[in-house]
Amino acid sequence: MSEQGIAIITGIAGGLARMVGAALAERGFQVVGVDYRKVSDPPDFALQIYQANYNKTLIEDIFRRHRPTHVLHLGRVGNLKEQAGKRFDLNVLGSRKVMDLSLKYGARRLVVLSTFHIYGAHPHNHIPIYEDEPLRAGTEFPQIADAIQFDNQAVTWIYRHRDLPTVLLRPCHIVGPNINNTISRFLRLPVIPVPMGFSPMTQFIHEKDIVAAIVAATVGEAPGVFNVAGKSPIPWLEAVSLTGARVVPVPSSLAALALRASTRVSSAFPPYMVNFFKFPCVISDAAFRKAFDWAPRVPERETIVSTVRGY
Amino acid sequence: MIGKAIHTLLQRGNIAKAVDSLPVETNELGFDPWGLHPDRAKLYYAVASLIYRYFRPVIHGIENIPKGRVLLVGNHSGQLPFDGLVVTMACLLHGTPPRLPRPMVERWFAVLPYINILFSRGGAVLGDPINCRNLLEAENAILVFPEGVKGSGKTWWHRYQLAQFGRGFMRLALQTNTPIVPVAIIGGEESIISVYDFKPLARLLKTPYAPIPPHLFLVGLLAFWPLPVRFHIYFGEPMYFTGPFDDEDEVIDRKVKQVTDRLQKMIDDGLAKRRSVFR
Repeated sequence: MSEQGIAIITGIAGGLARMVGAALAERGFQVVGVDYRKVSDPPDFALQIYQANYNKTLIEDIFRRHRPTHVLHLGRVGNLKEQAGKRFDLNVLGSRKVMDLSLKYGARRLVVLSTFHIYGAHPHNHIPIYEDEPLRAGTEFPQIADAIQFDNQAVTWIYRHRDLPTVLLRPCHIVGPNINNTISRFLRLPVIPVPMGFSPMTQFIHEKDIVAAIVAATVGEAPGVFNVAGKSPIPWLEAVSLTGARVVPVPSSLAALALRASTRVSSAFPPYMVNFFKFPCVISDAAFRKAFDWAPRVPERETIVSTVRGY
Repeated sequence: MIGKAIHTLLQRGNIAKAVDSLPVETNELGFDPWGLHPDRAKLYYAVASLIYRYFRPVIHGIENIPKGRVLLVGNHSGQLPFDGLVVTMACLLHGTPPRLPRPMVERWFAVLPYINILFSRGGAVLGDPINCRNLLEAENAILVFPEGVKGSGKTWWHRYQLAQFGRGFMRLALQTNTPIVPVAIIGGEESIISVYDFKPLARLLKTPYAPIPPHLFLVGLLAFWPLPVRFHIYFGEPMYFTGPFDDEDEVIDRKVKQVTDRLQKMIDDGLAKRRSVFR
């Protein structure tokens, strides 16, 4: 075993998990990657890469074989192209299994990556939102139920299993040249529809900053639930104008349709995202900054521009 | 080119100087976390100053506003928030130093297209206890109307009579150790007069109230044009309260009553001194 330990990272087919894996390998961790998707281009830093459903027997074989000291569950499925049943299977049952196996095989630290989407963008949101506040996204958009259950289950876990220090992270919109999530793809569109007459304060975190945050949570000691955000919020229209795309305002009643019809994003575009372009959802990450002595470094402009230009 | 010329002009006036002197922390794109953009706010406040001048306000006691965090508590009236605008502009133009009280706006403003952007760039913030607490802890001045829509939607028959105050502002003042400055606003009630609140129309329009001006049937929608009344703004001496913020309602109510009594007296005195609604 390496000096630092062995880290199992789920979601390794994604850009973020890969960057976290590379950062941990650089720090001396042995990295084992897992994803339910096929990993077409296995990264060099990984000791081993597996394709395994988080809720099937193979995942236990992986834990038994490698006996991880650190588990980073970064593989939540946010993509709504997957059927609700499959998302429940992976996000709720699969995550439960990953957490149970972490305990069973003696991991020393567990990091779970959730999202700030579960707070929901709402006209009544104050600024900022703290970790102990209600998760209102589900009231309007039942499609997000699996993400809320994923998060709730991890929160309960933290208080039930104090012998395995667990960190649950709720980051804002993660963007960057190597990120291929909905919001990053959306910012790269040549024509971006925006709801007419709205421009809520919006938070983005650059991939470099979120990688540093996840690494800090992995090697740190504090357990708990933490929001993680980038430098400071900017209005959605400013972010869109920084991309250089053609901005097309559409009546807000048609915004959902227009956003879904946008090329490339199409059916994967979560309906609850429309509200993020109309109403604010600004989180406070003061607790995380204090607990892990971390601060974002990438400025607001560079965060958006690098996502679009690819460097 | 015209835009550039307007921008240059805006950078020169009193409003620009006042806005530039404000201690607002902004990011590299010029925004604070609530969406205030001081540079763009100059344009909004330049427009607001035209409305301010339209009402020709007379300002009394502005020196009573203490440095640092403060809750300005005013009487609400006039159907549209001209009272908030006049008080804000008074603090910006006549405050020593200039202050920008962050207006706490009703929740329904957040869903009004364009208006929501205009308001937040100008410094308005959704009226919510946590927003308010965060702004006070950052040493801001906050303008609140504890009567809420019951105050702004008042009909003529209830003019200058304070509607029931909520307890929220007092709990916030206690929690954040903030002085309260009562602000009596005279003139707002006569700017747009409502003789009836047509509730079915309000429900249809999804607005908190639907005022019916007495001359609506004579002049149509022009009846909603505010009359050129003169505003008189009285800033009272700061009131300091101590005690637990989560005290029993009865204890908080007694403290709230001290504020409403003082404010009502300031309103009554102001009305007694007024010679005409237009002078």
